[in-house]
Amino acid sequence: MEMPEVRPSPDATAKIIVIDRTAGSAYYIRSGYNMKKPPDLLPLTPPVFHILLALADEERHGYGIMQDVARQTNGALQLGPGTLYGCLKRMLAAGLVEESEEGPDPELDDERRRYYRMTPLGRNTVRAEASRLAGAVSAAKVKLGLAGGK
Amino acid sequence: MNDSIWIRVVCRLYAAMLYGYPREFRLRYRIEMQQFFRDRCRELARERTGSWVWITFSLRTMTDWIGSTMRERRIPKLVQEWAVTLLMFLFVTTTMVQAYVVPTGSMEGNILVGDHMLVDKVGFENGGSNWSSYVLPHREVKRGDIVAFRSPDNVGMTLVKRVIGVPGDRIRLENKQVIRNGQKLDEPYARHTSPGIDDYRDNFPTAPEFYTTAGGREMFARNVQDGEVIVPPDMLFMMGDNRDNSLDSRYWGFAPSNYVVGKPLVIYWSFDAPTSDYVKWNFRHVEDVALHFFSKTRWERMLTHPRSQAAQ
Repeated sequence: MEMPEVRPSPDATAKIIVIDRTAGSAYYIRSGYNMKKPPDLLPLTPPVFHILLALADEERHGYGIMQDVARQTNGALQLGPGTLYGCLKRMLAAGLVEESEEGPDPELDDERRRYYRMTPLGRNTVRAEASRLAGAVSAAKVKLGLAGGK
Repeated sequence: MNDSIWIRVVCRLYAAMLYGYPREFRLRYRIEMQQFFRDRCRELARERTGSWVWITFSLRTMTDWIGSTMRERRIPKLVQEWAVTLLMFLFVTTTMVQAYVVPTGSMEGNILVGDHMLVDKVGFENGGSNWSSYVLPHREVKRGDIVAFRSPDNVGMTLVKRVIGVPGDRIRLENKQVIRNGQKLDEPYARHTSPGIDDYRDNFPTAPEFYTTAGGREMFARNVQDGEVIVPPDMLFMMGDNRDNSLDSRYWGFAPSNYVVGKPLVIYWSFDAPTSDYVKWNFRHVEDVALHFFSKTRWERMLTHPRSQAAQ
């Protein structure tokens, strides 16, 4: 997975917070991150894209995210714990998701789990990525003669 | 929830594997990752799936672990790929196959001096690594098999010979003819190069002679009965196909069956050079290979397979 890079736009006047310095090049996000332009983060890697989709309808814990991603892709993408939490770490740093409260999962057991929730920036980003992919798919359909149900 | 002992064991293992991640990452996500892993195990256990699901699951977990630890440790892509390749190579060469070169002509006729071969280490029950016998198909060593095994005299040396006797067999030779359990063997693979009869070699067993090693003397003292050698439990009687020029079980006694390394799989290169070049490294051999690689390589032997053959 490529690191989603978030750079401040040149005219940024809002306060800049250094979120994660461990990333070799530091990431910055503006405190008003919902004003960030999603195209800066595109294209998303498949794991990041599907994790965001999994969080689009409700907040989930890690295992729930994995299950939902497997459902979305008919089992083609099975996230392992290392990949999943690596992605979540970087997505948290980029402001795409945020941690929600800890709480038990009513279906699995009564153990406390940490839930993740999508931020408005995350929602805009996944929308932008979906339309980017839709554009690519329609271009492919035209080129390959698949368009129009022929 | 009560987990089976197996789930608890693999979860422990996984918890240990988390030490592969950088400290910061581990401290932050450890609990969640362990929960995640345990949930996955429970789900698989609930589904009561076949063993192949567990195999793919463990392979997936390993891939995930290797990929994400390297990523979190910021190891460059290029290094990652080579590291994985190297690990696989080490794994495969230590547990599954191993390359050997045959230095002596004791199997001449079927295996020549200078045959470089890969030995399958998991094909036999007593192969070099025993854990694999739980997953991979394997079988017992049979009479007539060509096997690679550690020399009982010198464990560091690997020999390639044919199994003539398995535990319980009675073996003797009469004028070069092997007689096993009272039956003359018809051995199309056997080769005789000298017409003369050496009493020790060709009318075995007689009495220990100069070339008989300690193991051979022990065999004479304990396992000879009525002019026949009786193979004791967990031992094998090995002979080279080049009968008149082979230091084998006749001289050094039985080979313990757990000394068996595996069976020759394929000859990947065969280079015509004398025994001395393969026993001791020397520069002349390197020069020889460099100058005569094309002319001295026995091309027709490449990618051939030394056949096991049962005597009739």
